[in-house]
Amino acid sequence: MTTTRTVWMLPRKVLYALGGIILIAALGLLGWVFYLDGVVQHEFKGRLWSVPARVYAAPTDLYVGATVTADDLDTELRRLHYRIGDPGSGPGIYRRKGGDFEINTRRVRFVDEMRAPVRIRVHANAEGIAGIESADGTELPLFRLDPLLIGSVFPVHGEDRIVLTPNDVPEMLVTFLKTIEDRRFDEHNGVDLRSILRAIWADVRAGHMVQGGSTLTQQLVKNYFLTDERTFGRKLKEAVMAMRLEAHYTKEEILIAYLNEIDLGQDGERAIHGFGLGSEYYFGKPIDELEPAEMALLVGLVKGPSWYDPLKHPDRARTRRNLVLKELGEAKVLDAAAVTRAQAQPLGLRPAGAGYVPAFLDLVRRHLKRDYAEADLAAAGLSIYTTLDPHAQAAAERAVTNQLKRLDTIAHNRSKGAPLEAAMIIAEPTSGQVLAVVGGRDTRFLGFNRALDARRSIGSLVKPAVYLTALETGRYNAATILLDAPLELKLPDGQVWAPQNYTHEVFGSVPMVRALSESMNLATVRLGLELGLPAVADTLQKLGLERRPALNPSMLLGTVEMTPLEVIQVYTALANGGFQSRLRSVQAVLDEDGKALKSFKLEVTPAASPAAVYEVSRMMTQVTERGTGRAVGARLHVTMPAKTGTSSDLRDSWFAGFTGSHVAVAWVGYDDNRPTGLTGATGALPVWLDAMSELHLKAWQPDTPTEVEDRWIEFSSGLATEPRCSADAVLVGVPRGTTLTARQGCGQPASESVVDRVKSWLEKTVH
Amino acid sequence: MVRKNSPLINALRRSGGTALLLILAACAAPPPYQMPAPKAEPVVAAAPKEATLPPPPPAPAQPVQEAPKPVQKEAAEPPSRAFKLGPATQALVNQARGQVTKGQLPGASATLDRALRIEPQNPLLWIEVARLRLTEGDTKQAENCARRALLLGSTDVSVRQTAGHLLADILRALHRDDDAKDLEDQPWMN
Repeated sequence: MTTTRTVWMLPRKVLYALGGIILIAALGLLGWVFYLDGVVQHEFKGRLWSVPARVYAAPTDLYVGATVTADDLDTELRRLHYRIGDPGSGPGIYRRKGGDFEINTRRVRFVDEMRAPVRIRVHANAEGIAGIESADGTELPLFRLDPLLIGSVFPVHGEDRIVLTPNDVPEMLVTFLKTIEDRRFDEHNGVDLRSILRAIWADVRAGHMVQGGSTLTQQLVKNYFLTDERTFGRKLKEAVMAMRLEAHYTKEEILIAYLNEIDLGQDGERAIHGFGLGSEYYFGKPIDELEPAEMALLVGLVKGPSWYDPLKHPDRARTRRNLVLKELGEAKVLDAAAVTRAQAQPLGLRPAGAGYVPAFLDLVRRHLKRDYAEADLAAAGLSIYTTLDPHAQAAAERAVTNQLKRLDTIAHNRSKGAPLEAAMIIAEPTSGQVLAVVGGRDTRFLGFNRALDARRSIGSLVKPAVYLTALETGRYNAATILLDAPLELKLPDGQVWAPQNYTHEVFGSVPMVRALSESMNLATVRLGLELGLPAVADTLQKLGLERRPALNPSMLLGTVEMTPLEVIQVYTALANGGFQSRLRSVQAVLDEDGKALKSFKLEVTPAASPAAVYEVSRMMTQVTERGTGRAVGARLHVTMPAKTGTSSDLRDSWFAGFTGSHVAVAWVGYDDNRPTGLTGATGALPVWLDAMSELHLKAWQPDTPTEVEDRWIEFSSGLATEPRCSADAVLVGVPRGTTLTARQGCGQPASESVVDRVKSWLEKTVH
Repeated sequence: MVRKNSPLINALRRSGGTALLLILAACAAPPPYQMPAPKAEPVVAAAPKEATLPPPPPAPAQPVQEAPKPVQKEAAEPPSRAFKLGPATQALVNQARGQVTKGQLPGASATLDRALRIEPQNPLLWIEVARLRLTEGDTKQAENCARRALLLGSTDVSVRQTAGHLLADILRALHRDDDAKDLEDQPWMN
């Protein structure tokens, strides 16, 4: 009985248990699917279902006298993807005959207007623009070209990615991709059973996993959410998520997400996501300019981006590309001749030159965060108009690339770690517009953005702030004699600090202008201690440094650490006659309807006495004429104040300076702070000079402030002189009416007529 | 017993957990860039006021010269200039004024930005920007821009007077009537 009961009872227990298991399993499965559904929806809504913001460079303004030569204009039109042809046949086409251009412009939105296509004629020569007229012959005072598209970003996420919209994607890419990866993409519901069976059959025959059989949707899901492990559990999860994705979104949405998300390689720490970035990274051009062979290579990379990495394994990459091309031929996507032709082509990896500007875009994102409301930036389809000057950007990139190549062979410690790095920023000082940013050796790829984030000792770049502090007290002028003599200083921690000049020389009594332009340490430390460290720190902050530097005596020699961006902000105030002009990279942001978002405008703030700034800048012109930066004066023949900077043990090499039209800073050093063996003059100066020499510079030529007068003094002694008396004569600005001691027999008359000045200047130049 | 033996529950927990983590990760991903701290007040207060106001020098009657073209090597600076706008910047200034009349202030601002890119050092443009800021109600920036114009145009008698009178108006708008009066009493203003 007991037995029977037990026997009877058991099935019931089992039945309950089974029922329970099934119920819970069903609930569990339901919950699981529900979860995955949630994950899928959440991720997609947040990431890719909005139109990215389009980012534009500043449009080039053409006007009579603009320094845009005929060749510059040609380059610019090509950069804007204008085609050569009959301008009468439609917008986006131009014709050039010598210096005469006929252009049919595209419909284009500017910050302040939407311009319909229009036909114009432009006459340019080797100097610049000579004339502009509309089709009916009316002269135009000015005309702007289309703003160059430099990227598509999500301002809020701030990712380094070039987002493609459906309109950006070439039909050929889609065809290639479907043919190679998922031929039934348009029919299946996320999972393609037929292809899975085919894959299993292939696996069985091979004895191990050789084929995935994954649809594009599954690959996308895997890329978004899953690890690379090949287990049944993961496969199941992937399949469920793929089906949920297909249930919620259209094929087009999934495809565009795939094109923007899929992993196409690795650059150091950074993954190359998406075909937009992939195209720029590997080929240096936008996706719609790729040729079949190049597109086939990208499509081939999907299968194994690191295995087929064309930069590391060009042979594997070529084999893979040619296999893809062969399959495309077999699928009748390409004809046999096209396949043969494409297979014979080299990989065509990116050449050096301008294009994608990640370091500048990085600054744009930060300025957007600084100046705009995050809620506004989250809107879809924004247009962001920036201050980028593609010409200056290209010049800075070339300078960094070429000079690093050269410095690589002479820098110290080059084999002990990561290679030498560099950064550069160029801006227009008066309005604070940032024209170019280079964040490191690889200008196409945003790793560590040194221009914005490398905080390094600025060395003697700090000295103009010390001298400005002195001039502002009214007790000093360019001819004031400073003592360059050894000193020892007991620091609060008990240590004794005994600074030295770079050459270990001692110069004795020297006028300020010489102490600054030859970057004398002892004279500067003595001067700075007289003024007081807080006063010097105040000056730095007034000029635009947003932090209080630590008040160590060694700060006077530039142990204060700054980023290139902070340095250029400070130097902009000098370049700007004592007005701080807040640097900006964003000119305006328009919403989808072309309405301007509340924006950040040009801002200037008085920061230092214009008279004192003029005096220190005038002194700094001697740096490029006869001081540590004389290589600049020798090559550019433009008056410009500048300063070299070298940190202790030659770890950082800096050069900063300005003309009437540009302010720029360059830095060279190792990321891990190893000594480079380079001074400011041998490392950063050549980078700076290379870049600036490609720009159309205007001389630094401000009006002398009324409280100041220009006087000639002897560079070595500070005594008043005239150019005819001394080859050593330099022009300095001193407070009007300053009494200067004159060398006997060659005093300067109290007031000098313009004619005399021009005459004496001419004499100086001739001698 | 059911609990202990249910692989499904465990799987659910695991995957649910993963999913949850994924959601959390997606939500809590740190912002890529730190929001900058709110800006301190501009350092105007720290700057000596009189330093930015040109002191009253005798305005010498000197021959008026053309605004110099950018040159490759400097000549001795002329003591007096007569600033004027080039055709391109003149067209832009006209356009900006038209935009102001139509109430399109951001457009006007963009137009003047464009002009400044062409002639950044022309005080006449800075006078335009100062006027625009005044119209916008940004009196502080109007003052700064007028001072910038004064400095850039310090050798042009007429530009200086225009900028000076504008600055005086701006100072009155800032309720600094005494400063405005001082400015207007400068010899070069009359």
